[in-house]
Amino acid sequence: MARGQLVFISGGVRSGKSAYAESVVRAAGGERKVYLASGQAHDEEMKERIERHRQDRQEDGWHTVEQAYQMDRVLENLQSNDLVLWDCVTTWLANELYEGWEKGSMCAEISGCMETKWSSLQETILDMLDTIDLLTVVSNEVLDDFVRDELYQSWLGRIHIWLVQQADQAIEMENGMAFRRK
Amino acid sequence: MHIVFGGAFNGKRQYVREQLKDQHVDWTEGQLPDKKDAEAFIVIAGLEHWVRQQLEKGFSEQQLMEQVKSSLSQGQAQQTWVLTDLNRGIVPTERIEREMRDVLGRLYQFLFAEAKDITRIWYGIPQKIK
Repeated sequence: MARGQLVFISGGVRSGKSAYAESVVRAAGGERKVYLASGQAHDEEMKERIERHRQDRQEDGWHTVEQAYQMDRVLENLQSNDLVLWDCVTTWLANELYEGWEKGSMCAEISGCMETKWSSLQETILDMLDTIDLLTVVSNEVLDDFVRDELYQSWLGRIHIWLVQQADQAIEMENGMAFRRK
Repeated sequence: MHIVFGGAFNGKRQYVREQLKDQHVDWTEGQLPDKKDAEAFIVIAGLEHWVRQQLEKGFSEQQLMEQVKSSLSQGQAQQTWVLTDLNRGIVPTERIEREMRDVLGRLYQFLFAEAKDITRIWYGIPQKIK
């Protein structure tokens, strides 16, 4: 069986990347639209907001899977022919890189910690593509500024470069316009 | 003169290394090239670090521009400038960073005007923009 398609979409805040990503999934047709959400609720307002978004998507025919950490766990929830939209790389990276900070043992400060998580994510994405028909990955443009957090930003660059290498299509969003870079 | 431009950690240096892999390269990081090796391909990267250092030492924008012009006039055809885009963020709170960003932006405008070729790198993908 052919590998599922990988589409990488990146853009700035309010660039229209999420709407475009949703349109890519809709255009693919398919049996089930899965929204893979990496956001975490840190307070009540966030919880309500996440729940509201989940309901909105449900009305629109999306099945939501919340996975803030350990992306490999998502595999058991996926079916063949699923169309998956993962939103987004930047939140997943923040979750994983800073995991454990409240206990004083942040992944970012543990040698090899993020490397292990990254290998696991790569494997998960490739496994996913063996099952599903489409994986659309959404991310943000945060590297055109002063380097404020070198570890986070260098990881993000590295992840984006790999995703673009693996992708069948790579799209940069600017003000609602999609520029195909690959 | 060739410019390779893009955000941080987008694979600009990797691209330049691949392009020049069989060449004799004189690679300069965070400073302007001081020696003139006529045979070598000259790569000037990390200009933002040089600009910051010079401003901290008290040099003026005009002096920096003169130094860049002088470097550019040495064997122009063999040069590759690796320029990091850091002018799309919010206004920095630190004065030195605001100054650096302004000076760097104007240096980039000058270099872009002078360049024969400009390649933008977006996560490893080159795009010819001039």
